[in-house]
Amino acid sequence: MVIATKKGLARVQELYQDRPQRVKELKAEGKKIIGYLCIYPVTEMMTALDIVPYRVLGDMRESITKADAYLPPVVCPFLRSCLDQGLKGKYDFLDGMVTSHICDVGSSLSGIWHYTVKTPFHYNIDTPHTVHETALNQTKGVMKAFQKALEDFAGKKITNAKLKKAIILHNEQRALVREAYELKKQDPPLISGAETLKTIKVIQSIPVAEGNALLRDIISEVKTRKNKPAKKNARLLVWGSILDDTPLIEMIESLDANVVMDDTCVGSRPFFDDVKITPDPIDGLAQHYLVDIKCPRTFRARDFYAAKKNYMEDLKTRFSYLSDYAREWKANGVILQSVRYCDTHGYEVPQVRDYLREIDLPGIYLEHDYTVGALAPLKTRVQGFLEIIG
Amino acid sequence: MTQEVKTRPLNRLKSMYALRAEVDKMYQVGGEAKAKGRPVAWVMLEGWANPILNAMDVITVYPENYSSLCAAQKLAGPFLERAETEGYPTHLCGYARACVGYSARMVELDGQIPPEAPAGGMPRPNLLISSAEVCDARFKWFQSLGRYFDAPVWTLESPSPNARESLTPGTYERNTQFLINEIRQFVVFLEKLLGKKMEWDKLDFTSDGTNEINRLRWEINQLRKARPCPMHTRDFWSVMSAALYRGAADPTVIVDGNQKMYDEVKYRVDHGIAAINRPEKYRMSFEGLAPWHSLSFLDDLADRGWNFVCESAYSPGRPVVIDLSKVSDPIERYVRKRYRSLASAIEIEFGPEEAPKVKEEIMREGTSYRLRLKHIRDYQCDGVVLHVLLSCRAASSGLSLFSDQLLDVYKVPSLIIEGDIIDTSLFNPVESLKKAEAFEDTMDHYKKVRKNLGFEW
Ligand code: SF4
Ligand code: SF4
Repeated sequence: MVIATKKGLARVQELYQDRPQRVKELKAEGKKIIGYLCIYPVTEMMTALDIVPYRVLGDMRESITKADAYLPPVVCPFLRSCLDQGLKGKYDFLDGMVTSHICDVGSSLSGIWHYTVKTPFHYNIDTPHTVHETALNQTKGVMKAFQKALEDFAGKKITNAKLKKAIILHNEQRALVREAYELKKQDPPLISGAETLKTIKVIQSIPVAEGNALLRDIISEVKTRKNKPAKKNARLLVWGSILDDTPLIEMIESLDANVVMDDTCVGSRPFFDDVKITPDPIDGLAQHYLVDIKCPRTFRARDFYAAKKNYMEDLKTRFSYLSDYAREWKANGVILQSVRYCDTHGYEVPQVRDYLREIDLPGIYLEHDYTVGALAPLKTRVQGFLEIIG
Repeated sequence: MTQEVKTRPLNRLKSMYALRAEVDKMYQVGGEAKAKGRPVAWVMLEGWANPILNAMDVITVYPENYSSLCAAQKLAGPFLERAETEGYPTHLCGYARACVGYSARMVELDGQIPPEAPAGGMPRPNLLISSAEVCDARFKWFQSLGRYFDAPVWTLESPSPNARESLTPGTYERNTQFLINEIRQFVVFLEKLLGKKMEWDKLDFTSDGTNEINRLRWEINQLRKARPCPMHTRDFWSVMSAALYRGAADPTVIVDGNQKMYDEVKYRVDHGIAAINRPEKYRMSFEGLAPWHSLSFLDDLADRGWNFVCESAYSPGRPVVIDLSKVSDPIERYVRKRYRSLASAIEIEFGPEEAPKVKEEIMREGTSYRLRLKHIRDYQCDGVVLHVLLSCRAASSGLSLFSDQLLDVYKVPSLIIEGDIIDTSLFNPVESLKKAEAFEDTMDHYKKVRKNLGFEW
């Protein structure tokens, strides 16, 4: 067994620079590694089978050269980049790939990946699109089917006891992430936005138990370290689509702002609600993945049966957690960001902005194309925004 | 000196006009019904809601169709601009943006139909029925309309498994139950909202009508395999609206219109009459959604002998023939009459020899070229036009792989045309025509390649 020599944020930095390092070591020791796209695949089931879940991400620092042949430029550049990485052999160490119906292109990518990258095990989870009762029941069925496919692949069964144990372990990670985010409530925050993103990226690239140990180290380290982030005028909440590398956050934090909270999926989104422990673990998992994760890919409403819709009440139901975040983390501005061609987030933007206006929180929308080069013009806009919020 | 009379490149079907008029009536009927206090629903095109809403006496109009109508009349521009000022990113679905712009105008006018709206406009909705089928825009767009209307929104759920998972034992039955339960919940929602009970006989009537319309459309499409092809994509697009966006039209009227169309197309097949008034030089498939604002581009291509014999979007599936005499639940009957398993579709389409290969291919590779490219083989296409849309991910994301497989397996080349369903500024007809002219050499080349390889066409 290879022993990591670095600890805490230094270990994060090491793995951030060579993300698959640890899983490759584990693979050499005989472990199975399964890649998953976005936050809807049920990683607890992988852990229950002693399979390491590994988040599949793109690389915004590398040009897309191979994916053009399979995904046109008018679709999500993040997904194009993921496929590009796959086609370039960067995910060859994976024993499996699990996707879900996150969005139109995510779903297409699933088939394209299977056909072109040819990761040995492949599964797409058909997650419903609403939180209707029927959809919740359907999610349970869909999850059971996924469990069966995973068991067949692993050649062993997931008992309820094992699944429950895995859920507890993953919940522990969720709690530790929330604890780390607590440290961002201070002014200045004890951990920067860029460090947070790196940490989340890294814990999604190693076994959950190791991620938990790493999080504990980080929490105790940042509480006592000297070189913490500087105090800044703006404390920002970042909302939006995938942001799987630091350049945008670093650009914001190079100005008079700290990113103190986020609602993104390489950020707080997968960690802020626990999976409830239920007699049949599938019940808790279905509730978590379909209902509790707040991603715009799922349609929610205040009351599906109401004869009249009250727009503002509806917005409150859907977005009041943002107001909680802003209040608790004392954010005085919101950066809404999305990669270009993301429909699910694109439709959400005017509504989130309406909500922010209602709670009197200034916001700015930035659209980017998932490249580092295109960030420069955005910097001027962020600067202007910071001046407005004073 | 005799003067040469140049006929129009397209030989349009006469039966198309009557069907088309039924769709155009939809907006007028909607407006009149609204004035009389009847509930109006804006509905996203999808397979399940319309017969149910019509059985509940709800008037249905289709913003997706209305946006294409605005585009066809080159009147979508101001609505698109309005959506942009409302804060909607410009890469979002053109139909959605035109609808958002229209809705914003409506609010500005206190709920009145904007005077610049073509075809009488869409009346203010009492309810919004969106769909989880086909694309994300369908439900995200309708959710967005909450900014403009206090109408409740119901997103009708529908399963969307990938091909491989569809073939996994248990998936079809689970998804059938999901649909049944979801539609049951939808009926409860409507009954509560409208304060009345569903009349199940009416549902049988509207759904049987829908099935019959689809059966006829499917039969018509089978006739298009003939050489020369008797019906052009433009006619298909013109009448698909009468089936998919039927509005409150009496299904028997639409059935009748489609029967007449079937008869006319059959007559053409029997008499060797083509859909274009030029020799059929190239048999084409149109992949993707139509450039509604520039349909005459296809006439220019017809002038060069390009006959569009099939298309990837809006095609009806083979009718389901199933004995439901023992199923007493009307919703279950409704679902089972139309929802076919992928496994059975493959068995029927490919027959006992090829079907197992298709299934095996899907299980191994996640996709099957035989399945995906079947229409190209059946209709013996010489080339395809891939319409890559800036604003539609659902229709554009699979096109590259499709064209790759097509060339590889059937030696049929693709012409990529970039454009949009609504936004005229994204399509360059002159440039596209030049590309098309050059593409003819490629098609000629591959005709020879196919011949040398012993292909049927
Ligand atoms: S960023 Fe948007 S389009 Fe891209 S994968 Fe996520 S939800 Fe899909
Ligand atoms: S399929 Fe494309 S064009 Fe049609 S509604 Fe969806 S996003 Fe719009």
